[in-house]
Amino acid sequence: MVILETRGLKYSYPDGTTAVKGVDIKLKKGKRIAFVGKNGSGKSTLFLLLNGTLKPAEGRIFYDGKELAYDQASLREIRKNIGIVFQNSDDQVFAPTVYQDVAFGPVNLGYSKAEIEKKVNGTLEYFGLSGLKDKPPHHLSGGQKKRVAIAGIVAMDPQAIILDEPLASLDPVGADELLDVLHELNHMGTSLIISTHDVDLAYSWADYVFFMVDGEVIGEGTPDEAFQDDELLRQAHLKRPMTFDIYKEIERRGLAHGNRQPKTVPEIVDSLKPPELMWVEVPPETREGDILNLGVLHGEYALHCPYEAVNARVLHIHENNKAIVELTRHGIKAGGILIYDMDRFDPADFEGYMEKEEIDIVGAMGKKSKLLAEDYSICVDIATGVIDRTILMALCGKRCMILTSGGMIPHSMQRINEYIERSGIALNVRVLNEN
Amino acid sequence: MTKMLDDYALLSPLRYTNNWLKIGVVGFGILMGISSQSPLVPFSIAICMSLATLIFGRVPPKFYLKLLMGPAVFVVFSIIIIAFFFGSGPELFGFNVLDYHLGVNTGGLSMAFLVFSRTLGGMCCLFFLALTTPMVELFSVLKKTRLPDSFIELSMMMYRYIFVFLDVAWCIKHAQTVRLGYHDLRTSLHSMAMLCSTLFLRSWEQGEKTFVAMNARCYDGKMMIFEEKRPVNFSEVALSLGYMVAIVGVWYVSNGMLEVSLW
Repeated sequence: MVILETRGLKYSYPDGTTAVKGVDIKLKKGKRIAFVGKNGSGKSTLFLLLNGTLKPAEGRIFYDGKELAYDQASLREIRKNIGIVFQNSDDQVFAPTVYQDVAFGPVNLGYSKAEIEKKVNGTLEYFGLSGLKDKPPHHLSGGQKKRVAIAGIVAMDPQAIILDEPLASLDPVGADELLDVLHELNHMGTSLIISTHDVDLAYSWADYVFFMVDGEVIGEGTPDEAFQDDELLRQAHLKRPMTFDIYKEIERRGLAHGNRQPKTVPEIVDSLKPPELMWVEVPPETREGDILNLGVLHGEYALHCPYEAVNARVLHIHENNKAIVELTRHGIKAGGILIYDMDRFDPADFEGYMEKEEIDIVGAMGKKSKLLAEDYSICVDIATGVIDRTILMALCGKRCMILTSGGMIPHSMQRINEYIERSGIALNVRVLNEN
Repeated sequence: MTKMLDDYALLSPLRYTNNWLKIGVVGFGILMGISSQSPLVPFSIAICMSLATLIFGRVPPKFYLKLLMGPAVFVVFSIIIIAFFFGSGPELFGFNVLDYHLGVNTGGLSMAFLVFSRTLGGMCCLFFLALTTPMVELFSVLKKTRLPDSFIELSMMMYRYIFVFLDVAWCIKHAQTVRLGYHDLRTSLHSMAMLCSTLFLRSWEQGEKTFVAMNARCYDGKMMIFEEKRPVNFSEVALSLGYMVAIVGVWYVSNGMLEVSLW
């Protein structure tokens, strides 16, 4: 379902520069969409057009299938439903305290006092800002200010959030935390639209990308398709994403499986499986193309996991029952990833699980979980890139626990299960303290 | 960046005590100090308020003294002038400057003393308020005083952007300094003028950007000012009342004694 659609959208600034030159796009609901282009390619102007802040010189915008009419009522509706987070948080966070800034949107929507209080406190807690609610914005760090800006939008329950360069001016940890929050918002059904010139972010994060140059969309598609096209990248003044570049180089040297699009480090690692050939003795009735079960290997014969089930496909049969086979390995009894719901945190219960499950590595995801872990002096080994890094640890046979809460639980389960499906390596994943 | 009065107030342990109680205590101190004819009352107020600021407000004593030193320079100059040129009574000491006799008499000296004590008392009261009550708390007080909403909303936004522009001004100043923008008077004036004009343009732009951002969140010309609930606890009230009773006592005794001695 399409949430926003534009037809022939054009806009020029009063000084005569044409910032958007006829844009036709369809943005689907519930997706993560990235607009990629160098600075000054018209992304920010397009965003202001999309939520009705600027009025196009030509062209039309359709929200939920209805044409935007630019009268008070429809502007109000589109602004409630399409929230926009500006690049510079100081442009947006204007109230003297964090609480008042987050409450600004709900107040304008005419909620009752009790509703406002509930909404604002809930949002602040979700973003790990409860402790900062009486602070003035000039006492906050860049990352905190960004979270306040996003919280101010989320408090209005929009269907889609537009973020202009969300990771600009954030430190790596702050950027990672923000990405966690965005993943979770998306998982709960909010469509996200970001602009960026960071190809790595667009490649690994988005479901769908648009390339913009000089106010025009010159290409679109899923990241897998769009970033394959070197000519398109050249026209858009962009370069290949780092993970893709590394993979291509490894593949060219024959060290990785071909035709993949790894987006994360575990996926690159997973592609590093050159076909393994081996001489084996086979029963006389074996034919070429048969699959043989070689049983479970361990110790130095298991390459990726402590134990591996190895199958062999017969490629060529030689004299004396000798054959050349290609091995495929499936890790069994690799480490596990256990997810602990911090909404139901209980110190004794938690310690119990730590012992019983023989946890080696603890990762915390989401601001709320990190703060809670800090309060109870839980030693957190992984605080950034939690899902990817726990997968890597589990592949090495470690038992990992992810502390997280709310919508991030199904999100993590989904990400890990996707990995298991793609790689064929069985990791043990489950939520520990479900009711 | 330098730490400002407001920063101390925001981090003050007394920030969340009832604003009206603090304002009441401060207003009481100023009124009693001014109405007293004896320097004893304002002095005791100054001591009490300073102790409250230092002990309950946990303001570093060094910083507090530095803060008092600022206005103290003006006060010292004015009391010297008062001592020499006002009052009557027997002369304590004097000297001639170019055939003009300058002297300090008892009346002048006691008046100078009174002015000094009143200024000190008032200053300590106001610094107590300034160091324990940040602007963000005063907005809800302003709301209660029924000032026009638009006035309060404007001041809220001004408060917020003062700090944004202060940052911008610092950045520009640093950028100018590293390129020798302030190495003599001429360049300093020139650089300062450039800083001011840039800051003006920036604030204009910021205004437009903020308006866009507010519109994007369905702004309809009305902001809500939140009134904070700050309950008063018994010990605070008891302490304040004790302080007030003591000061009133001192006021009666010292002013009464003054009358007796004058008679």
